[in-house]
Amino acid sequence: MSLEKELSADGKTLTIFMDEKFDFGKVQDFRMAYGSDSGEVTSINIDLSKTEYMDSSALGMLLNMQKSMSSTVSSFSICNCRPQVAKILKISRFDKKFDIS
Amino acid sequence: MRILIVDDESLNRFLLSHMLEEAGYNDCYEAESGHEALRLAERIKPDLVLLDVVMDDMDGFEVAPKLKQLAGDIYLPIIFITALDDQESLARCLEVGGDDFASKPFDKMILTAKIRAHARTRLLSKKASEQNQELVYYRNAVEREHAIVEHIFKNALTISQSVSHFFDYRLAPASSFNGDLFLIEPSPTGGIYFLMGDFTGHGLASAIGALPVTRAFQAMSEKGISVSEMASTINNTLLKLLPGDMFFASVIVEIGNSGTQFNIWHGGMPDMLLVAPDGQIRKRFESMHMALGILEADEFEDDVEHFEGEFGDRLVGYSDGVVELTNAQEKMLGEEALVKWITSQPDINVQALEQKIDKFRGTAEQLDDITLVSYTCQSLDSLKSNHAVCLVPFDITVDLDAELLKTIDPIHELIIMVSSQNGMQGIRSDFSTVLSELYNNALDHGLLQLDSAMKKSTDGFFEYFEARLEKLAQLHDGNISIHVSYEPDSKTLELTVSDSGPGFDVANLCKTKETDSFGRGILLVKELCQNVTYTDGGSTAKVSFTI
Repeated sequence: MSLEKELSADGKTLTIFMDEKFDFGKVQDFRMAYGSDSGEVTSINIDLSKTEYMDSSALGMLLNMQKSMSSTVSSFSICNCRPQVAKILKISRFDKKFDIS
Repeated sequence: MRILIVDDESLNRFLLSHMLEEAGYNDCYEAESGHEALRLAERIKPDLVLLDVVMDDMDGFEVAPKLKQLAGDIYLPIIFITALDDQESLARCLEVGGDDFASKPFDKMILTAKIRAHARTRLLSKKASEQNQELVYYRNAVEREHAIVEHIFKNALTISQSVSHFFDYRLAPASSFNGDLFLIEPSPTGGIYFLMGDFTGHGLASAIGALPVTRAFQAMSEKGISVSEMASTINNTLLKLLPGDMFFASVIVEIGNSGTQFNIWHGGMPDMLLVAPDGQIRKRFESMHMALGILEADEFEDDVEHFEGEFGDRLVGYSDGVVELTNAQEKMLGEEALVKWITSQPDINVQALEQKIDKFRGTAEQLDDITLVSYTCQSLDSLKSNHAVCLVPFDITVDLDAELLKTIDPIHELIIMVSSQNGMQGIRSDFSTVLSELYNNALDHGLLQLDSAMKKSTDGFFEYFEARLEKLAQLHDGNISIHVSYEPDSKTLELTVSDSGPGFDVANLCKTKETDSFGRGILLVKELCQNVTYTDGGSTAKVSFTI
């Protein structure tokens, strides 16, 4: 099942909506979501409003995305985290690498 | 048209009834005395009375007021028939309640014209009386309906008692129904949800939308649904229900179980303020969205603002009825004045604020519903004990051999099994993450002997994933055993994950760099639960959670 995503009208902002669990099982879906038709994208936003839990491989996937896209994408953000997920991002100091809101 | 002729002279009665018959009035009754007139009137309910003045038993002056009394609220025209022509007698005819007089001998044209004129008035009076009755009936019906609706509202719009003491709040509707809405519910993870909103207008019409919102909010709170999903669900519900010119400005807030984290969806309400104990405004939450019930599902934005406050900070919210309140001099209170009250006296409670507001309003009428809500950041630990906690000790053991490892993912099922027990919902998220970490470590490193260092490069990350699939497909031997054990006395849940692999050098857990895409797992596990231990040379991991 592929992940829901949304490209802004100007084609510059890509938002990827993760579902309930964000773990290693999502590795390919996630790569597909940011890797395909993202030619003009300059900012990527990961929406975690539905995500109930994530594990360390999800953190790895986020960093991996940042690494592989950083040549064309300048802004990476994570939004709508539930408190439990925000806690994991905080423990992992992800606020240093991502804009978290 | 029923006419009662009252005269003690039979000749007069005959002349009158004959004249009336000729004029087309066929429904005439005759009475030969005052007493008979009253008896008859009671029975036949005349539309008009022709009344002689001079009679033996009871004269017309005495009969007239009694007839009027019998007729009740409806106008009963009484025309005196009299041979008297002195002004005093004629005036008295009208004074005792008569409506007109006709002198003997009768002029047919004048008399029938008078009858027609009075008949018109009687008809009007009848209509008015019927309408009055209808009005009374409707008013009673509306009052009854209001009472029923009020009853339903009172039962439906309840605020969860287990969390209401964390809030200081006031709701003051302008009429008996409130278009403002304030709801609080505990979240299954030990935090609190609250919703504060304002339907267009006030009174019953605007309050009616509160019912579906309340039901949806309560059901979603119980499930622990995210604020953004709540907002879009309520939006869709209202979009279908509300007429086009009605909408629901609202703020939906989730307070995390730390008591200081806020997730806020804010659509169309006045700013919410987070005020530090010294009166400084730490954060102003402004409306980011249009009110609920306006945008179609595909236009709707569910962005949520996230903020972490500190213990002692106060989150203050209010409806526009507060700042748009107008006093007798037609001066509006305004946001600035309200904020000044709060910041200059940071510990002011809502009751004192309300007194200030009332004082400002003075004698002016309150035109809109008023809501004031305040939450002070505090520990929500006491909420945990409010949840019924499972009293039965239990053990769940899952043994997965190579075949099962290839075909199923046990994590999701185990999470459901554990978190569906009373009191376990609060650790659902942490338990899920920890179980996922330990299981993946056991599988990837214990059994499949994959090296995390592969994940160093971007491509390696995916190679790792492919290698994992490949190695798993080739796996013949080995198993992973997951054991969950709950002890109700100490409210401790223990999770043990062991694999049949060779283990690893626990002491040499590599230090992870911030940029590395791997190696965070164990760190995370140590933060999310207690007593993390590795035994059997690293192939058995044991952790515990306190419920």
